[in-house]
Amino acid sequence: MKDEQLISQLKNRDRDALKSVYDDYRSEFFKFAHRYQKTGVDLEDIFQDALIALYENAQAGKLDHLKSSVKTYLFSIGKFMLFKRFRDTKEIITDEAYIFDQKEKAVIEDVYHDPGPDEYQKRLVSNFKKLGEKCREILELFYLKGLKIEEIMTVQGYENKNVVKSQKSRCLKSLKDLIKRQDG
Amino acid sequence: MDKEELINRYFENTLDEAGLKELERLYQSDPDFAAELDFEKELQGALKTNERQELREMFREKRDAERAAPSKVVRLRPWLMAASIVFLVGISAWLLFFNSTGIDTEALYNTHFSPYENVVHPIERGEQLEDLKTKAFTAYEEGDYALALSLFKDLQDKSNDDYIKFYEAIALMQLNKHSDAVALLETYIRSDGELKNRAEWYLALSYLRLDQVDKSTSLLKNVADHNGFKAKEARKLLEELD
Repeated sequence: MKDEQLISQLKNRDRDALKSVYDDYRSEFFKFAHRYQKTGVDLEDIFQDALIALYENAQAGKLDHLKSSVKTYLFSIGKFMLFKRFRDTKEIITDEAYIFDQKEKAVIEDVYHDPGPDEYQKRLVSNFKKLGEKCREILELFYLKGLKIEEIMTVQGYENKNVVKSQKSRCLKSLKDLIKRQDG
Repeated sequence: MDKEELINRYFENTLDEAGLKELERLYQSDPDFAAELDFEKELQGALKTNERQELREMFREKRDAERAAPSKVVRLRPWLMAASIVFLVGISAWLLFFNSTGIDTEALYNTHFSPYENVVHPIERGEQLEDLKTKAFTAYEEGDYALALSLFKDLQDKSNDDYIKFYEAIALMQLNKHSDAVALLETYIRSDGELKNRAEWYLALSYLRLDQVDKSTSLLKNVADHNGFKAKEARKLLEELD
């Protein structure tokens, strides 16, 4: 698969595309990671976290004008995480030396340190899933994919920005009502 | 800018300095505004961490499925096997035409080599990968030979199991480190290890890959005479080398 095609699929939150990245680079990543870390560790976890950070940064548009390959980008994330995990690891100069900006780094750190949803977050999500499809879509585009109100208007074919804004706030209100009902 | 717009712009990352100051001021002075901003931040955090968990789950299921049915993957791709046969036939034909005097030891090696299966340390699927030996053989079975190799080395330091040398050698062969593999296999054979006949077959292949055809043939004759592991294939390879 061509990198441009892959990036646009990742931007569209295509999970199958992410699976194909997993297949394409897993064993190579393990060999690569091995240069930094000799003892058996959970490279699998690091590889998966790197894939998730790749996925999120692609959605944030950070790969739109990527000068390196997706592989280099992915392996650079992995390297960043390996150094976080093993502070004593010696720096080795490699091709995988992508320079991330602050936001990309923040995403990588965030994924790396993410302990998974707590009870409150689980409850929020389970109520979120009870919302209608339109609501879930608009909120996911805004909070997860990071689209602006104006971009949502274009993508979803709303008449104007105000329709998007009021739709969004209606959806938030429904969500709060669902949570209240559950609490009550 | 109304309060709603202010919050939207905060998430869009399009607030200028004045906007951020206004947001901060309202957050401190207006409890409703603060509650709204917090709620949306919490929602965003929850959706993100949830999606990450779903993705990790997806990878885990994928991994489990692959582990449960490794042979299925091969069976699903008959075209791949057909393609490799065509490829090999093509290579041999090419060799006959252009290279008929020498022996292409690399092609022969590739035709006959397949890693020895893990028969010494069966791995229970789904079991926690705690001990070093399980980790090593899991890496081996999954084809992470670089990882397997270093784990085998760690294991060697800690246990007396001779067969580790044998598997270490196969991993070395997969990583194209044939001289190292030869040294290990020779030691293993000298010590009369349990898998000695198998080791001879692999040693023959490593010699072949190193273009030491004489050493390879004498080992292959051994393997063929034994009538056991790979005897038939050894005879075939001897014919091809002749």
